Amino acid sequence: MNARFIGLIMKKDLSGLLNEKTILLAILLQVFIAMFSSFLMVGLTTMYDPSALQGYSGVRYGIGYAGSEDSGLKTYLSESSQFRVFDMELSPAVAALKERKLSAVVYVPRTPPDGDEPVKITLYLVQNDIQSAIVNVKLKEIFLEYEEELRSLRSDRIELVPVALEFPGERSEGFYEFIYGLLIPLLLFMPAIISSALIIDLITEEYQRRTLETLVSTPMAITDIIWGKILACEVLVPIQAGAWLVLLGLNGIVVSHVLPVLLQVSASSMVLILVGALTALYYRERSTAQFVFSTAVVILILLALAFPNNPLNLVALLATGAPAAGSYAVLAGMIGLAVLLGILVTSYAKRSAKKTLSS
Amino acid sequence: MNVFASILTIASWEVRKTLGTMGRSVLPLAVVLFLILIAVTGFTSQTGLHLQDGMYIAGVDDPDLADVIGSDPRFRIYQATPAALYRDRESYDVIIVGGDVYAPDTGKGRAAVKALRTDYDRYKNIVYSQQQDLFAAYPLWIDVQDIKSELDFVATQSGTRVAAPSRSRSPPVPEGPVAEIEAPDSGVDIPVEDLRTGLLESQDSDSEIYRYTDVFGQESPFGTFKTPHQLSPPLPFDSIILIFVFIFPLYFTSQFFMMSVMNERLERRGEILLSTPLSPWTIIAGKALPYFAGMIAITLVLTLWVGQSLSLLLPILPVILFFLASALIIGMVSRSFKELSFISIFFSTVATSYLFFPTIFANVHVISLVSPLTLVILEIQGEAFTVSQYFYSTSLFFLTSAVLLYVGVKNFKEERLFSHAGLLTRIREFVSEGVSRSHPYISVFAITALTVPFVFMVQMMLLVLFFNLPMPLSLVLLIVSAAFVEEVAKSIGLYTLLFNSERFASWKTVAIISAVTAAGFLFAEKLLLFVTLSQITESVFGSVLFLSLGVIWIPFLLHFATVALVGISLKLRGPQGYIPGLVAASVVHCLYNLYFIRGWFA
Repeated sequence: MNARFIGLIMKKDLSGLLNEKTILLAILLQVFIAMFSSFLMVGLTTMYDPSALQGYSGVRYGIGYAGSEDSGLKTYLSESSQFRVFDMELSPAVAALKERKLSAVVYVPRTPPDGDEPVKITLYLVQNDIQSAIVNVKLKEIFLEYEEELRSLRSDRIELVPVALEFPGERSEGFYEFIYGLLIPLLLFMPAIISSALIIDLITEEYQRRTLETLVSTPMAITDIIWGKILACEVLVPIQAGAWLVLLGLNGIVVSHVLPVLLQVSASSMVLILVGALTALYYRERSTAQFVFSTAVVILILLALAFPNNPLNLVALLATGAPAAGSYAVLAGMIGLAVLLGILVTSYAKRSAKKTLSS
Repeated sequence: MNVFASILTIASWEVRKTLGTMGRSVLPLAVVLFLILIAVTGFTSQTGLHLQDGMYIAGVDDPDLADVIGSDPRFRIYQATPAALYRDRESYDVIIVGGDVYAPDTGKGRAAVKALRTDYDRYKNIVYSQQQDLFAAYPLWIDVQDIKSELDFVATQSGTRVAAPSRSRSPPVPEGPVAEIEAPDSGVDIPVEDLRTGLLESQDSDSEIYRYTDVFGQESPFGTFKTPHQLSPPLPFDSIILIFVFIFPLYFTSQFFMMSVMNERLERRGEILLSTPLSPWTIIAGKALPYFAGMIAITLVLTLWVGQSLSLLLPILPVILFFLASALIIGMVSRSFKELSFISIFFSTVATSYLFFPTIFANVHVISLVSPLTLVILEIQGEAFTVSQYFYSTSLFFLTSAVLLYVGVKNFKEERLFSHAGLLTRIREFVSEGVSRSHPYISVFAITALTVPFVFMVQMMLLVLFFNLPMPLSLVLLIVSAAFVEEVAKSIGLYTLLFNSERFASWKTVAIISAVTAAGFLFAEKLLLFVTLSQITESVFGSVLFLSLGVIWIPFLLHFATVALVGISLKLRGPQGYIPGLVAASVVHCLYNLYFIRGWFA
């Protein structure tokens, strides 16, 4: 292999990418995914806790209350700052709910709180309404409190007692696990997927446009050409992943262990790219190679995710600042796998070139 | 020769050629890969996704706590004496000493507490559901009754708070007639042992999706009858997975079609087909037919396999057409394989999110109906969809597919297929194909009118995207982006005409084009609204997108002015004037929207 030739091919393919400018679409896509998933999370959180927003604090939702007068639930509802409780007959209350003059209607039967029978409450809500979903979540907290009270009234009948734990503060909804446990691994591995699709295009295109024959007739060897392409794809990975880390940092999301994270991502993508290169060398035709490869990648990723300490898991752990003991062993394993695949690609490329020439 | 016969001939060529290039070994391999995929999916869903394993480091002083958090792989658990735990508290994300939970006040600490809390709830429920006296452990049950509100469509989308928090202290009085409702029975009519097994089973069901948010909950095994814990609206998770099974093969088949179109362009192979007396319609129909038939067949088989009714095909049909039409265009515009990949990955991700994202809200909000797949979910859940719902969610897909197919057919000829110009130039060429020499203005009218379904589609996407943000922000973003999208669409005809021929480079023609564009846009917008979307136009969000059905001349003036702005900018500064012109036009458009929706400057 000749380093100068490899460099030449790399330069040719990278400048081809730059000229077409369509790689912008790939980058745009990553931004789109990041935006989309974050919007989803932010949206869901504000749904859960709208009082976090200005203009929603101090809002009270109207609840129609019907049935038993002296239920503990009524006390909880009235004491809550979220609701305004109205004593009503069931029928007009439901009619008012239909006209959206109330947010929900609760009917409580006269079941004694410490009786043998459970207390069965009927809750009327407006169907398919986001507001209903919010009221639902708020009512759930009240119902849980009331359930706890009823449970303690009946506690002498409970024979298996769970271990008691006291938690600090209120229930809170945060993004931490979503950002570090899902978004960051996803974003950092996107470039790997893109690059491995790219290597298939680069190789099959030379076959299908019959330009490989021209290239091979120069002093360049087939291995120079293939490795030039592989490196062109590989070099894009840390650049894109690094850009993500910078962008995340600008948004106040600090990723620790930057270097090991980038190494882990680069090594894993090298494995994917080499598998892609093998597929492309074997089929020499884009649609088949892409189809087989993308199905195989889905299988590989799903399979990897089935085991702990997979590269995505390790990137999540590194990013949170608590690398697992096995982190570096897995990294070494990935690099070893890449080396093996690299040798395989080199010898297979040589063999397939011989076959082409003799046929 | 009969047109149908030629279509069939081309279709059979296409099948033979595709099988020829792919080699016979691929089909069995595809089947094997598919089987492995199913097996791996099953295996992974058994073991769970190990993505966040070991994320939190927990310190405990009591070995019995293993029951509570031991089964959660997110925690790395260490046991130590209370004193040691307290001393090394900095190295833990959460510690449990004497039944009290402590965590540092950091993002990670709070997240660890949240995770622990969910685990603890789960553990408590498992213990409680094993009680001899179940109703002592579960003393409270809730029967949730959904009430259909007549105001559904209009009210839920409006940004104003619907289930209005009232300020008054006296109970509200319904205006309409009051239907008599009997007080519900206080008894529980499900046997206790059934309740117990149901409770235990619902603890086992996959908890990984519910890690991220409390808004969605597990489905109660007893239908509307729930414990307080099960009260959150269920995520239609199974149906969403099922839909993915439907869409995935369709996506791949359209990829093959895309590649087949691209193959015709490699080394000018398509010349043979083009030199036959067959019309482009026939050629494209023939080439697309095997893929279309294949997609229908796959859908059919899957439908029967999951045991659903065949009416499931109805909402999937427009999706198939849309995939094929876009595959045709993408195969025709890409210059190289990598460009093909980038464009198709981009397109498929955007299309998939448009199709999937709304379905998450299938049980929560009517907005979910912008995606035809929501109809599939409804159907799977056993609620038949109505004709108007079908119309509402599929019309945009039918219309845009028709437009894309038309553009593809119009451009299916030598000078377009074998050109090597850049993407933007090619798109301009594609559009210019629609401009007639003798009636350029009528063409601009038509082109602008044809962009409207796309504009609606993009705006729907934006609506879904921004709808999640807090209210003032979402409205502002929607106003700005909707205006920009409209301006881009309206400028397409103008831009094409100005750069295609010197004829149109005078001030007078710019004015005429602007007027024609405005008229075309207005015409199509009103027509489409009238046909499909009138249901949501009355809400605040709707009115941002589709303002004022009533008066015609004010929006006409707006459209005219904004197109003219782009025109003036283009005329003065050439291609560099395009972006500034668009920005200026969008600003004017936004101001107009703000004025009319909120009367902010009144």
